[in-house]
Amino acid sequence: MITNLLSLGWDVNPTDPNKWFIILGVMLAGGVGAFLLSKAPTSSRRSIIVAFTFVSGLFWVLKYLWPEPIAFREGDVPRNGIEGFGKYLTDGVPFVSTLAQTLTAFLLGLGIFSLLRVHLTKISRKQKDWQFSVILLISLVTVCFFGYWDWILFNFRMKDVLVSDDPSTWTWVNQVQDILFDGLLQNMDAAMFSLIAFFIFSAAYRAFRIRSVESSLLMVSALIVMLSLMGALTFVWNSAVLQASGGNPVHFLSNFRLDTIAGWVQSNVQVPALRALEFGVGLGALAMGLRLWLGLERGGVSQ
Amino acid sequence: MQYLDTGWFGIFVTVTIVVFVLFNIARAGKSKGEIFIRRIPGLNALDDAIGRATEMGRPVLMVPGIGSLDAVSVQAVTIFANVTKQAAQFGTPIRLCCADAAVYTLAQEVIRDVYQSQGMIERMDQNSVQFVSDRQFAFAAGVQGIILREQVAATFLLGAFYAESLIFAESANSIGAIQIAGSTQNTQTPFFIAACDYVLIGDEFYAASAYITRQPVLVGSLVGQDWGKMLIISFVVLGTILNSYEFKQPKTTQRVDTTAEVRGGNENVSSIEPYDGDPRTKTPDDTFVYRMFNPIVSPEMLTIEREKEQVEESVEPTEEEVTE
Repeated sequence: MITNLLSLGWDVNPTDPNKWFIILGVMLAGGVGAFLLSKAPTSSRRSIIVAFTFVSGLFWVLKYLWPEPIAFREGDVPRNGIEGFGKYLTDGVPFVSTLAQTLTAFLLGLGIFSLLRVHLTKISRKQKDWQFSVILLISLVTVCFFGYWDWILFNFRMKDVLVSDDPSTWTWVNQVQDILFDGLLQNMDAAMFSLIAFFIFSAAYRAFRIRSVESSLLMVSALIVMLSLMGALTFVWNSAVLQASGGNPVHFLSNFRLDTIAGWVQSNVQVPALRALEFGVGLGALAMGLRLWLGLERGGVSQ
Repeated sequence: MQYLDTGWFGIFVTVTIVVFVLFNIARAGKSKGEIFIRRIPGLNALDDAIGRATEMGRPVLMVPGIGSLDAVSVQAVTIFANVTKQAAQFGTPIRLCCADAAVYTLAQEVIRDVYQSQGMIERMDQNSVQFVSDRQFAFAAGVQGIILREQVAATFLLGAFYAESLIFAESANSIGAIQIAGSTQNTQTPFFIAACDYVLIGDEFYAASAYITRQPVLVGSLVGQDWGKMLIISFVVLGTILNSYEFKQPKTTQRVDTTAEVRGGNENVSSIEPYDGDPRTKTPDDTFVYRMFNPIVSPEMLTIEREKEQVEESVEPTEEEVTE
């Protein structure tokens, strides 16, 4: 029976004559499910969320723990139940990912609703700088309008106009979309990104002021690494070291070449510290995921 | 790859850490005494930051990073729920800016629940949780605008931050806001250390909710994580000793990694062959530790007989049939 269930797979066969009934049935079941959920008492809300979270998480836990078939090729028949279930889970990944994407698409609508509510309130109450909100909303509508029109022209080739990546095939709509996206948005992104250079400068100035042993260590190690990247200076320093060591490259003094010191700082001080942090972050994420999956967390998100 | 044959070690370590966490959660639920958690300055400053915002009558800004809805964002929102609880009691305005629609929806529900649980739902500003943009620098520009226009008194930058981290931190610094920050992205932590007053480094970010609430489940989980750390440290120490010993041993075999055609597809395979080069000591890929993480997979291990699915062949109509 399990084999029969697994053989149903995740997708509806496009040539199945009953596919429309299946789609309609799934949509109806979804609607009924949503209605029942909305009528569920508040006290049972947490249990429902925990159950949904557990089932969703179980898929990925099984995907991680269940053995995958070795050297499985297209059209192969699984040898046994273990291989069959492993294949079933692997085949299910695109389906489950699509479900997550569909959910995210709905949530994006809620995000845009939030944006509209915040800025329409600001405009209607004539709050401070309400003019910027007007510009934001006009930009939002304009980019959406031309973005969709451009997309339709590219994908559906309306009115026999063949639009491709070649600008000579573009209509005025594609031109406007290009100006809005590549001409304005990308450049504004680049401008914001460039601002970071100045922020790094001001932040680094404060961080490198020698106030304590830690900041002194920070400054010295940063100075060594930065200087090691300057070719001319590295050449002069290393030549002096080589001369002092009598031209012997395996002499003890060769350890004091600028690039060797910088390499030592990076691989023996920086990398171990980062690895240690990564272990801690990974363990934290694992424990957090486990608590959420099993519904063990009380308060905050899971309340 | 089928890890019943190879690569079992990673699964074993993960499952062991899961057992550690669950065991300590169960243990913490039964224990009566409070488990000690070392002082985390960034979290001790939480009250000061909210108190300062209350005195100045300015908002508290919270940003859960620009990541999608995952453990990092959920943890950030959980910390923000605790911040909001205190802000609600003092009537301090809050601003929570999101770059991901799913995180926004979650944050909105959580913040509403917090105000409701405090019996102060009327104090909640519907616009306090807002979706700004899902484009990185549009979001950065939007949040920077809020920081400067509303002259926020305290900022909590907790979550997955990337290049925009310094834009937020320096803007808030320029208006004298108290800043508590923490990122799971190690590349951004130095920026936060340079620009913010308090920084949660590494797993302190995940310890925050246990530190603030002292709930047995969270504290037990924290102890489980520490056991996991001890396990990893012991592996590091053992691996160092083992490798140091092996690097002194003469090289007698060598590992050959290649690809082989197995059942109509290419697979990575490897083999151990006798070493006949110049006498030398073992190289890193000769060590036991390397082989444990990169097991030897021979073509024979991949040779498995399987039947092919029966495909119904569609019979193309002949030209004569079409004409008829």
